[in-house]
Amino acid sequence: MNKLKGFLGYIWAFFAFFIALATYVGYDTFPQKLAAATGIAVSPRFTGGEVVRTIDHGAYKTHIHRPVFDGLIGEREKGFIQLNWEPFAGLPPVIREKIDYDGDNTEDFLITLDTRTGDTSLTAYNTSVRSMERSYKLKKSWAARVLLQKRS
Amino acid sequence: MNRDATGARSIPAKRSLPKTFLLSLPMMLLTFVMISRGNIPTEKGRLFALAATFVFFNILFFLMLRTGKTDRFRSILFLTLSVCFVISFISNLIAVRGSMAVTEANWIEGEVPFCHIPIPMNLIPAALTQTIIFPGTIVGGYASIASMFVLWLGVSLGLGRGLCSWFCFFGGLEDGFSRILRKPLIKSINVKWTYLPYAVLLAVVLLVALTLSPVYCQWLCPFKTVTEFAEITSFKTLIQTIIFLSLFIGLVVVLPILTKRRTQCGLFCPLGAFQSLTNKTNPFEVRIDREKCVQCMKCLQICPTFSVSAESIAEGRTGISCTKCGKCIDACTQRALFYHVKGTSLISSLDKYRLLFLYPAFIVLTAMAGRFVQDAMVKMIKLITTGSMI
Repeated sequence: MNKLKGFLGYIWAFFAFFIALATYVGYDTFPQKLAAATGIAVSPRFTGGEVVRTIDHGAYKTHIHRPVFDGLIGEREKGFIQLNWEPFAGLPPVIREKIDYDGDNTEDFLITLDTRTGDTSLTAYNTSVRSMERSYKLKKSWAARVLLQKRS
Repeated sequence: MNRDATGARSIPAKRSLPKTFLLSLPMMLLTFVMISRGNIPTEKGRLFALAATFVFFNILFFLMLRTGKTDRFRSILFLTLSVCFVISFISNLIAVRGSMAVTEANWIEGEVPFCHIPIPMNLIPAALTQTIIFPGTIVGGYASIASMFVLWLGVSLGLGRGLCSWFCFFGGLEDGFSRILRKPLIKSINVKWTYLPYAVLLAVVLLVALTLSPVYCQWLCPFKTVTEFAEITSFKTLIQTIIFLSLFIGLVVVLPILTKRRTQCGLFCPLGAFQSLTNKTNPFEVRIDREKCVQCMKCLQICPTFSVSAESIAEGRTGISCTKCGKCIDACTQRALFYHVKGTSLISSLDKYRLLFLYPAFIVLTAMAGRFVQDAMVKMIKLITTGSMI
């Protein structure tokens, strides 16, 4: 029994050596395989969630992300929606846009963004729209987040 | 192989030069492949950095084998890894983002490099929501989330909590500071403090799950001071920065100097606490030969992570938080402490066990350090020749 345990111990130790080696040899491929196998993604609280609609204004586009209410289990009462405007070159000095964020053909809020300063204002058309979070100047676009309350 | 009075094989005090050279050869080959990544650079600066790194690493490994001392040479490379990591990381951040400060726009664009410390805090959200609570990228870019998970998984399976002494690119800083004084000014620390990392781990795991925000990275990480920190735009970010600085100065600089211990690692780090559990899932451990032990308690006094106690000595093993740095093994005049492969005999093949541990451990350390040491060296050459690192 002791001999078998000893033998298995050595096998385990050799295995550790090959794991250490394989970890670095496969450093370029294993992460992609791990990501593909698990389907893991960065939380939408950082990315803003998937873009569900794009409005083409000709010179620029408005990307509307999905409302993010994601919680650890189920959804939370409070969330946000992210909007992106791009490209910089086509943006007017002030964007003034009515947004229907949930696609029910009813406008939910009016947002204005000064693309020179990043100043924003918000007019809510229903109680699910809480307030403006803030705007962000990204590498290729302006983004803004509007805080939402889940509809009962 | 040497045998001591009890008949047990022991680690030879000094290995012969030809045998040391033969045992070093496989590591020379492996380190060359690891640090060159199959490419020999043509640019003079990079070629010099590659050659210097290769020679430096292999001299240290050769000396480890020749002298039988582990920590003496590991600590040099470990400190080098941390210093070079800081130089390489900060210069890269400045090159890419223009500053060490992280803006909220960087968060949204997933431009924050991931490290291994937030991994345990992400396991529950990852299992329940399939998402990672961190503003980085899953694959691609600098220090992606999946790449850190792969490294952590591989090193944990191979070395367990050895990760903290052979992989962690932050650990070398406090390890370095802990070696400044010859004798500690604070000699005893209440053992209750060693439970603190588990409390921090539990608190942070729960807070991340409840708030779905990277609480540790936002509020508690001492190493933000030498990597990146939130742009100070509000009272909140000012407080965060003060906390980062205080924790860094207290736990990474001052307390390690005064206690000669790795206080951040042993008394605070939540990953360290989590990593202790992985000591159960890897083949290597540090054991104590109770017959040889003369109860001088030197190992207890010098263990950087508070992993040796009177009880653990009586049991003939180090505690669960042992990082396998080898400091106690080097210090024991009776050669009572030794690396051991679980399941195997305790009275024979001690040198073989040490070798079986050293190969994967040194591969991990050189693979981690290789990239940063070369990059830092190239940046320093650039700084000297052009006046700018970037």
